[in-house]
Amino acid sequence: MHAGIVLCGGRSSRMGRAKAWLPWQGRPMVAHVVERLSEVVDEVVVVSSEQLDLPPLPARVVRDREPELGPLAGIREGLAHVKGELAYVTATDAPFLTPEFVKTMLSYGKAAAPEVDGIVQPLAAVYPRSALACASSLLESDRRRPLALLEAQDYRRVDAAELTGCEDAVRGFNTPEEYLAAVRTSGDDSPVVLELLGRAQLAAGRREIETPVGTLAEVLAAAPPELELVQEGRVARHHLVSIDGRSFLRDLRVPIGPGEHVIVLDASVGG
Amino acid sequence: MNGFHGRYWRFDLSRGEGEMVTIPETILRRYLGGVGLGTWLLHREAPANVDPLAPEAPLIFSFSPLVGTPLTTSAKLAVVAKSPLTGFISDGLSSSHFAIAGKRMGVDAIVLVGACAEPSELVLGALQPTRLWRKTPREADEALSKHGRVAAIGIAGENGVRFATISNDGRHAGRGGLGAVLGAKRLKALVVDGELPTPVADPKAVTRLARDLSKRSLGHATAKYRDLGTVANLAAFNRIAALPTRNFQRSRFDQGDALSAETLKPAREVARTSCASCTIGCEHVYGFGDEKRTRIEYESLFALGPLCGIGDPEAVLAAAGRCDALGLDTVSAGGTIAFAMECAERGYLPDAPHFGDAEGLLALLDDIAHRRGLGDLLAEGSRIAAERIGHDSIAFAPQVKGLEIPGYEPRALQTLALGFAVGARGADHNKSGAYEIDFSDRVDRLHGNARSAALSLETENRAALTDSLILCKFLRGVFDDLYAESAELVRAVTGWNVDGEELEALARRVVAARKAFNVREGWTPEDDSLPERFLSEALEDGPSSGARLTHERLQEMIRSYNLARGWSEQGYLPDAVMRDLSLEPSPADPTHAGPQVDP
Ligand code: SF4
Repeated sequence: MHAGIVLCGGRSSRMGRAKAWLPWQGRPMVAHVVERLSEVVDEVVVVSSEQLDLPPLPARVVRDREPELGPLAGIREGLAHVKGELAYVTATDAPFLTPEFVKTMLSYGKAAAPEVDGIVQPLAAVYPRSALACASSLLESDRRRPLALLEAQDYRRVDAAELTGCEDAVRGFNTPEEYLAAVRTSGDDSPVVLELLGRAQLAAGRREIETPVGTLAEVLAAAPPELELVQEGRVARHHLVSIDGRSFLRDLRVPIGPGEHVIVLDASVGG
Repeated sequence: MNGFHGRYWRFDLSRGEGEMVTIPETILRRYLGGVGLGTWLLHREAPANVDPLAPEAPLIFSFSPLVGTPLTTSAKLAVVAKSPLTGFISDGLSSSHFAIAGKRMGVDAIVLVGACAEPSELVLGALQPTRLWRKTPREADEALSKHGRVAAIGIAGENGVRFATISNDGRHAGRGGLGAVLGAKRLKALVVDGELPTPVADPKAVTRLARDLSKRSLGHATAKYRDLGTVANLAAFNRIAALPTRNFQRSRFDQGDALSAETLKPAREVARTSCASCTIGCEHVYGFGDEKRTRIEYESLFALGPLCGIGDPEAVLAAAGRCDALGLDTVSAGGTIAFAMECAERGYLPDAPHFGDAEGLLALLDDIAHRRGLGDLLAEGSRIAAERIGHDSIAFAPQVKGLEIPGYEPRALQTLALGFAVGARGADHNKSGAYEIDFSDRVDRLHGNARSAALSLETENRAALTDSLILCKFLRGVFDDLYAESAELVRAVTGWNVDGEELEALARRVVAARKAFNVREGWTPEDDSLPERFLSEALEDGPSSGARLTHERLQEMIRSYNLARGWSEQGYLPDAVMRDLSLEPSPADPTHAGPQVDP
């Protein structure tokens, strides 16, 4: 029996928004990764932080109690909840992960990690459930690198050249530019919908504007300039901007993915 | 004294006599006016554990240092009493010329105690039988306005509906049943006027500051209120699935578009008006029916519309106009009726109308005000009604401490959920502006935590200051530093050397004093909670789908809130906080020396 563990408790600070929610092929990234994993493993555990709500997933969601300790704490949490002897661990931003790659990695029957460009990839790797105690003791001794856990397992290092799809499997994105570049080559050309409510709607005389994917700044630039949605390099104080009505944001650099709705509201909402 | 008269007028309706009572300057400096001063007076004048509808229960009209100055939105008063709906403090704000005229009587507050032997009106200090009993507040106003400015109750107040309002200039001190308190005193109306202006310390500075504030009040920060009014909230809340619908069973209303400001404005807006002394003018008046017109706010729109499953603007505008005429708080009326509608759906109240029944809603409003049939039960509010209906219906009675919840779905706005739970007045969007935090990138609105607690508390402090100055909260966006800028206003008016820090401490004191009153009246930590529905059912709609708020999460937030306030974990006030309140014992206390009477 094999398991998959998806880590999505990271802070996504360079992205400016949670990577788990970035759209990929018509669904949030974390849903995409869970689906790909589910094709080859018997169970999937998603490790999230207390602060991050996730979309409905066909997986068990557990909370990382100590996200500040980094990904090793997430791996420990995941291992504590899987039933399978071996678990493939992946970061949430793994859009090009293939079931074949996961299957091959699990086929070694032991801890295994690929090496790409001379760098071992511990967040696209297999860990035995029995590594749980070791993960805990490493954390207790303040050794937080996931590589240390692999090294303690006598893991198999897999050369990228041995594996088709290996480089893609470990390819994620840390910045808006990386994500948007990946989207533009993915073949998904669904537009972003800019929804105008309140004063913005009355002033623009319309409710929706379609525009290509881009950063929030690029999306807001699709609105008539007289709305002054942007001031001094940020969302103007008199407006609020929300992605799909869930989270609110002011940082213009964040990426907006295919099919997402950017909603513009009056700032003094409420009261 | 600048900015104040240093006294209040205490009128005993049982004896038909009034007296002037001194307020020490130290107290005015510690509480300012409005809600702050009103709370201090409530502590002083209300006997412990008094029945809110008993003659001994005081009803307080509290003015403020800024009333009468040219500062925009300052013509406001607080009406403070022990609420017959909650048994705790109730402090409604209202804007009107009544505040200016009342202060010109040479007082900082008016306290009514006792009760009239027959339905009466108190006109410029003279208590006389009234012929206006059974008339609407507007009719009372028209009949009495030749004497001065009028505060009056409608039929709901006369009949002791626990969510009756006190109306003045067409505005209402709306929440918590203040109208029932006046009705229990058998006083239809209070008319005030006077000649005594209040001197200010630095008239030139006041003029300059007033000019500056007026200018800023016309900027971007208030544009929503001018262009669309609070009604603009409806489409926004519906879009993000935070719009309470069908008694909080849903958070999105499929007929919401018809009720949105974006639809109402082009189709029905006939005028825009403002409160006395206001440059913003957020009141949008809409036409309906046969050339009728009414002003409507978001809270009335949501409560009489989506909350009751009604999407016909004609019906909702008619219901809002009816509440005004009867003197009913629209939020509690809508909430209590929506609760009855859900009881009908479940078979607990076979006579109640069903969701979407606009005619049933209108008829029930009248029945509540007249206490007829089912209306008599619902006139008690949803909490007491649920206790009598049984079937564990209290789990979905939409109230906190007995006060019906305003138009913000707590599971979708979890920082505000905390604000509702700990609110001294009950579920209260006026005393906690925590929705501002939910509508920001500072928290995840669907996932409240300890950080939400700290941020929620700050909005409550700011509201306590604006409610004591008093300035309209719709100005909040024009201030960069509310405390420092308010201190400048207070300095110019009073001449006191106050700074922002002192006013921040004052705001915290006002919050604590409100809480202290509740503790005195029997508050326990169990009172700070939300109905079971909100702690066990997840939301299903749109962007809020899956949002849930557990007992544990709410308790954790409450604990963080209490500790951040410097109170005990459970929410009791330590001795040091109590000492800072400078409270005086109530006159009912045998050791109490009685008010200090001005010679
Ligand atoms: S902004 Fe609106 S509520 Fe505030 S004082 Fe002006 S008219 Fe009244």
